[in-house]
Amino acid sequence: MSHTGLVAALIADDGTTDWPRRVPDRLETVLSAMPAAARAGFLAAAGAVDAYALARTGRTLARLTALERQSVLAGLAARPALLPLLDLLKVPVLLSAGTERMLDGGPPAGTLTRADPPLDLTPASAWPSRSTADAVVIGSGAGGAVAARTLARAGLDVVVLEEGSHHSTESFGRRAPLDRFTELYRDGGATFTIGSPPLLLPVGRAVGGTTLVNSGTCYRTPDHVLSRWSKDFGWTPADDFGRHLNEAERTLRVATQPLDVLGANGRVALAGARALGWRAAPLRRNAPGCRGSCQCVVGCPTGAKQSVQLSVLPDACAAGARIVTEARVERILVDPDRPGGPRAAGVRVRRERDGGFDILAPLVVVAAGALQTPQLLRRSGLGGHPRLGHNLSVHPATSVAGRFAEPVTAWQGVLQSVGVEEHHDAGILIEATATPPGMGSFVLPGAGGELRRELEDAGRLATLGAMIADRPGGRVLGRHGTAVRYHLDRRDAGRLLRAVLAMGELLFAAGAEEVLTGIPRTPRVRSLTELRDVVAGTGARRLHLSAYHPTGTAAAGASPQRFPADPQGRLRGVHGVLIADASVLPSCPQVNPQLTVMAAAMAITENQTKAIMSR
Amino acid sequence: MSAATTSRTGTDGHPAGRGTVFSETMLGTLRLDDEHRVRRVRLDLTVSADRVMRLWGTTEARAEGRVRISGWSDDAGARGELEISPLARRRIRYRVEFTADGRRLTLDGWKSVSARRPVASMTVLPYTLHEDGTPIGTGTLRFPLGTQLLPFLASFRFPRSRRPGAFVRPRWRGEPGRTEVWYTTVTDPDTGSGLWLHHELTAPADGSQPYAHGWAAVFPEDGPVRHARFGPARWSRAESGFRAGEVTVRPGRLSGSADEGALHWDIAERPGGAPLFTFPRWCWRHPLLPAAHMLPAARSRYDGTFTHDGRTLTLSGAPGASARIYGHGNARRWAWLHADLGGGDVLEIVAAVSTRPGLRGLPPAVFLRLRRHGRDWPRRPERAAAGWAGAGRFRADTTLPTWTVTGRTALRRIRVEVTQPPDRTLALDYTDPDGGHATCRNSERADAHVLLERWWLGGWRTEAEWTLDGTAHAEVGTR
Repeated sequence: MSHTGLVAALIADDGTTDWPRRVPDRLETVLSAMPAAARAGFLAAAGAVDAYALARTGRTLARLTALERQSVLAGLAARPALLPLLDLLKVPVLLSAGTERMLDGGPPAGTLTRADPPLDLTPASAWPSRSTADAVVIGSGAGGAVAARTLARAGLDVVVLEEGSHHSTESFGRRAPLDRFTELYRDGGATFTIGSPPLLLPVGRAVGGTTLVNSGTCYRTPDHVLSRWSKDFGWTPADDFGRHLNEAERTLRVATQPLDVLGANGRVALAGARALGWRAAPLRRNAPGCRGSCQCVVGCPTGAKQSVQLSVLPDACAAGARIVTEARVERILVDPDRPGGPRAAGVRVRRERDGGFDILAPLVVVAAGALQTPQLLRRSGLGGHPRLGHNLSVHPATSVAGRFAEPVTAWQGVLQSVGVEEHHDAGILIEATATPPGMGSFVLPGAGGELRRELEDAGRLATLGAMIADRPGGRVLGRHGTAVRYHLDRRDAGRLLRAVLAMGELLFAAGAEEVLTGIPRTPRVRSLTELRDVVAGTGARRLHLSAYHPTGTAAAGASPQRFPADPQGRLRGVHGVLIADASVLPSCPQVNPQLTVMAAAMAITENQTKAIMSR
Repeated sequence: MSAATTSRTGTDGHPAGRGTVFSETMLGTLRLDDEHRVRRVRLDLTVSADRVMRLWGTTEARAEGRVRISGWSDDAGARGELEISPLARRRIRYRVEFTADGRRLTLDGWKSVSARRPVASMTVLPYTLHEDGTPIGTGTLRFPLGTQLLPFLASFRFPRSRRPGAFVRPRWRGEPGRTEVWYTTVTDPDTGSGLWLHHELTAPADGSQPYAHGWAAVFPEDGPVRHARFGPARWSRAESGFRAGEVTVRPGRLSGSADEGALHWDIAERPGGAPLFTFPRWCWRHPLLPAAHMLPAARSRYDGTFTHDGRTLTLSGAPGASARIYGHGNARRWAWLHADLGGGDVLEIVAAVSTRPGLRGLPPAVFLRLRRHGRDWPRRPERAAAGWAGAGRFRADTTLPTWTVTGRTALRRIRVEVTQPPDRTLALDYTDPDGGHATCRNSERADAHVLLERWWLGGWRTEAEWTLDGTAHAEVGTR
């Protein structure tokens, strides 16, 4: 089904330039990478718009003139209840349009900062049907990579299983951001939560996991969070967390982002904070030599960002670990009749060619991410704990943009550059975040000509994002696919609105002419007073929300009733299964969690190696 | 632990459970990592387990057989192990070591049993070939259902366990009025001396404390019989065997001292041959008769030292046997013979008259077991003891110094004459659990003559004849 008419209507293709004509094809590519439910939702919404056009004019959108299409869209936009429907259509269209418009000026060139260190990679198709190892690590993200390195350095024969593929830095430089976007994310980046309101929850799927596509921001776990984990939840590794955080920072070469490549987006945030007297500074990042490509979320094209496949996994491979790519684990094999109770025996991996392969290992480290780990455990018959899959925190986030008199060109510079911590104690962390066009969580307002003008004028926009420390209101469902239910807590809804207000205040203080609120009914405000009125009259459910950093779905803690894993990360009810990813964190870490996850995995696997050595 | 509890929890009272043996043939291919060609492979295995294979559980088994790889290997000495767990772990794992071209290799693979594809998953064995732990090739073996299913099913056997050590564990579970005996008799071929180590647990019928006791005796060729008692000692259940103070019986080991150290011994036992049940096997497993007697191994070899009064007897591969008795007490009258006939042949006889009312008036029931060329005769012990409702039973005359046993089956007959010269015989007093006493006259240097005849072409012809000169072990008990 072609979406030529829909695209032409939404971005007001008047035929004066070439790039809008390429957008429908690009849109097809984006849609094909989406999960079936999201694709069906888009097609239903597109069909509804076409039906509206047919009812109103007797023809579908593709057969209308530009003026008639504009009239149809204006009719739709006049009905506030239909605005969410339009936004559903706009997100993938803007993603495609932003890419084509950017490519119109020539694809961005990436220059390698350094060559990728070697990895021991084997595709699943070439892995033997039967093999053994001392330990199998499921997942190669922040947790899995560190677990593999710790175990391999202790002398264990380690196999890392990664569902995604390996992507080299050089391959990132060759391809357009959107092409990478659909490959590097699970469900083509269209993972969303079911509930009130629905949240977009993108997670990476490649060697390196989400660290490949995160912003590189490296916050240490706040002390008050660690203290709560230790005292309230009995998660003892938190007591010695500083040592592991130091090691993680050393491995990732974490340092404060220098100002030279910070970009105008970050400078706007700093200027606003300075005017208000707020605490703000360039973020600490794991990207020495960053050149401000602003493509962190689709894989750093220069190799500056020290994702774990460039920093941790090479060390693991040097110590003997092997990585199997495109290997989705079907189930953990469990021997139920071992003396002392059930014991993990290895894993079974799905493979088209011959039904799959088995790896037998007495230790299985699950680091499949907070959304996949509970499902994998359920598939393996290990989902008996009533709290498994519950306790999901996701850092709900929203963003606003400010229009300035001078060009900002937010996509030139560091993608996530400045952190504003003035409201962090209140659970709100503001980060100046710009993305390649269309890839951010901010949705430009309007449709048709209005949207086209916003697109053309995007160079004057500065964008800020805010994430809030949420109460664990989510739950991972089922055994397959990605099924997440999330209910935004009333307190967290208030925090999101306060965050919008704070970001608007910051942008106005930095000299913004107007602020794009992201609220469909009142998309633009020109003063702080107006913004306050808008925020007071709206609810968090009307915001464009996305979420990042899912954690806590197989949490570790002292209480056997409350936590599926014990304080050492060992899954309760079975021997030989460790949880070493974000799902093991007892509650929301309140900051970008890469360092926290790495330190947790380090603590858990170090404890395990000590136990093995002492036998 | 109470007697009731132990009887529920332990199956060690019946250590002689059955095992499993079957043969399996699989055909398939192998591709070595450094080759582009595919080689054909045939695997013929005989698999044996110490227990009856359990479909719901996991059975560890040994495998022996032959590995043939076209153009590379034909090793008939392949050995390995199997982990058979089709339902619990849903895995049947094979690890087989063999030699190919002088290289020691291990085939490691498993069938992953799946309910969705039961036949394919139970018949296809993907494997990896390792050399020194490094993978060097992969392949797949398949069980050819069409040609091998029937031979495979027909090959299943469930033989009884042949682990002599298992029979050393105590049978007694706390019941009053029981006696249990571990005894060993040995002939030292170098000196002609005989040894007798008797270990006994007595649980008095009046419910008083059980006690462990026994004696050791040596029958030197050039002197009088020397013996000494040990115990009684408080009975403490030893899972692996018998213990009374420093006197112990463990699988493969006998040690202790008596008479304040005048006699002390430390002897290793090497069992040889399958267990020999003198009484019907069911009598041992289900103690319905007043007592039952059996040999964990029909014959054994002994190494070690036995010291008495400053003289040390050094045993080196000395023949003998250990036996076990469990029951209510001693018989009213009995005679016993253990004769190592050489060449792996053994004759074991117990002829006894029960103390029970109604049975004590009967002539002795003769339990005679002749193991010759690996086969036992008569085929069933009941045949010798009871005949056909008494007709044709074997007969015994237990008067000393020479006692005899005679008997015949359809085509064979036997005559055994045992002579226990008084100067080579030791008389000892036995105490039953009910307090009764019996006198036993034992000699580990008895003489015996065994004549085995077979009916052939209208007459009895000698099939085998053995004469033991001072190497038979015998005993006669009276009251």
